Amino acid sequence: MSLYEVRAVSYHYGGNGQAVSALADVDLDVDAGEFLAIAGPSGSGKTTLLNLLGLLHTPDAGTIRLDGRDASTLGERERTRLRRERIAFIFQSLNLIPVLTAYENVEYVLLARSLPRAERCRRTLDALAAVGIADQADRRPQRMSGGQQQRVAIARALVRDVSVVLADEPTAALDQPTGCAVIHLLKRLNRDRGITFIFSSHDPRILAAADRVVHLADGRIAS
Amino acid sequence: MRRAVLLLTMSLRNVFRNRRRSLFALATIAMGALGLFVFMGFNRGLMNQYRANTIRARWGHGHLYVQGYRDRAHARPSEHWIERPSAVMAQLRGLPDVLDLFPRLTVSAILVAGEHTVGGNGEGIDGAAEAGFFTQLNYRDGGDFRDRGDGIVLGEGLARGLGVRLDDEIRLVVQGGEPSPHSAALRVTGIFHTGSQEFDSRAFRIPLGVAQSLLATDRVESIAVALTGVEAWPAFAKAVQASFPGLEAVPFDELDRIYYRHAVDWLDAQFAFIRGIILLVVFLGIFNVISMAVLERTREIGTLRANGDSRVAIAFGHVLEAVVLAVLGAAIGLTAGWALSAGPLRDGIAMPPAPGITRSFRIQIELAIADGAQVLGLAVLTAVVGCLLPVWRAVRMPIAEALRHV
Repeated sequence: MSLYEVRAVSYHYGGNGQAVSALADVDLDVDAGEFLAIAGPSGSGKTTLLNLLGLLHTPDAGTIRLDGRDASTLGERERTRLRRERIAFIFQSLNLIPVLTAYENVEYVLLARSLPRAERCRRTLDALAAVGIADQADRRPQRMSGGQQQRVAIARALVRDVSVVLADEPTAALDQPTGCAVIHLLKRLNRDRGITFIFSSHDPRILAAADRVVHLADGRIAS
Repeated sequence: MRRAVLLLTMSLRNVFRNRRRSLFALATIAMGALGLFVFMGFNRGLMNQYRANTIRARWGHGHLYVQGYRDRAHARPSEHWIERPSAVMAQLRGLPDVLDLFPRLTVSAILVAGEHTVGGNGEGIDGAAEAGFFTQLNYRDGGDFRDRGDGIVLGEGLARGLGVRLDDEIRLVVQGGEPSPHSAALRVTGIFHTGSQEFDSRAFRIPLGVAQSLLATDRVESIAVALTGVEAWPAFAKAVQASFPGLEAVPFDELDRIYYRHAVDWLDAQFAFIRGIILLVVFLGIFNVISMAVLERTREIGTLRANGDSRVAIAFGHVLEAVVLAVLGAAIGLTAGWALSAGPLRDGIAMPPAPGITRSFRIQIELAIADGAQVLGLAVLTAVVGCLLPVWRAVRMPIAEALRHV
């Protein structure tokens, strides 16, 4: 069974006769453990598709099944719970909390779970070590480079042991070597931990690292 | 627990995130707290001084009457006065917190001085005993008649009406007793002012013995009570009720309902209005600051929600931040208020004569821990209410929209 089953999904922005179609009639299957890239030019619907997969939007038409459950029928509370337990995000703009240290940013997402302190501490340090910035744990984001901040964001995504990580242009704000290093880090984590990664990009060198690339154009899957 | 600690840490650090804005917020709250705290201290000082003035000028902490005497008019009032007052007072002195007791008798009389005749309402009092307690009866000329048997003191308005000065003779004519009328010749030993023009234009005081003689009675109408403090009254009244079922204990604010109680109610209403304005200013300041802070962090809120934080958890974090801001601001304001009252305002604030009052006075700023706690509570409440609307708006924004927010 696929991790995600997307069937005939459409999504529009706006309303009252001024609706703009962002996705139209999209079908997609994503297997567990896959390292999947979504490619396409700006405005092709990459972010919208990731938001739908991350349960941030509800499709206007069609169904999205996560582990066989139709996510479009879930209430807000259940979607929040699924996001907390199964899905993690890495954003292009990082979105770290500036007043927290790297350690606290990563630990924060564990606080909603009733984990013993020692376990929480171990997992946080493991996540930071896995992305190679354990020595930066006490630094706040503004005292770190863009690449280091992105690694904190990745550690934040990994620490919860989720089954899928959605990354919206995770390397767009980074220079080429740092971007490649980050994508190879994601690839390694995908291979070592079996986490499903779905990321968007339009950089051919980044896309080359993916197991599979889905191309979007004008809100439709082109190939 | 760790979540609460981290939220509190975040809140504290967020306070210093945008220093200029936080400074503005802290200044708004601190100024509001300072204003409110000092204002409450001023209010308390004014009320306490007014109360002390009322007690020490005329009423004592209360009066004792024969049970039911005040409830209706009597054809022969003297029959309802307190019998054997000396014996009753000797027993009353055994009750807790009693400082002193003063027998009194109301006298309505016509005062004649030369060609002037004026009606007045006076009291027969134990001059020697009362001189020690009733210190707020301010004498413009002369002083108490103390143990002088033919002395009389007059309100300054009454003295003016009669055209008398110190040592002038006045004839007091009283309708009462048998045969009627009775009269007595008395000599002016003092001219006083209480602060109330209406009272001073009709009031006089004469020795209790003279009053009893004029009214042909050995009873007293009431016994004024001086206690160790206002707070001792309820226990005293209870003890009187238990030990002297024939007597009724009436507190000073009930006796002076027209002036004291109404003045207190009037001032309270005025102060509540001003307090409301101060709170509104603080509320608008906090609302503005929190709205800006929330707007600035919309993308952060979107991130937290995308990572599975509930709306309530995020709103709680922001409310906590508002509480931290309010507590810090209020602490600064309260400290400044205390420093102000202990420093520049140590000697109080000079006030002009109030309506109906003939002398100016100084109001001490009387700060109280209870007032400080109330100010802190109001600051926190205002901050929480002020942050709820912007925070609620932010957490209800669609997550994807919040993540795109610039």
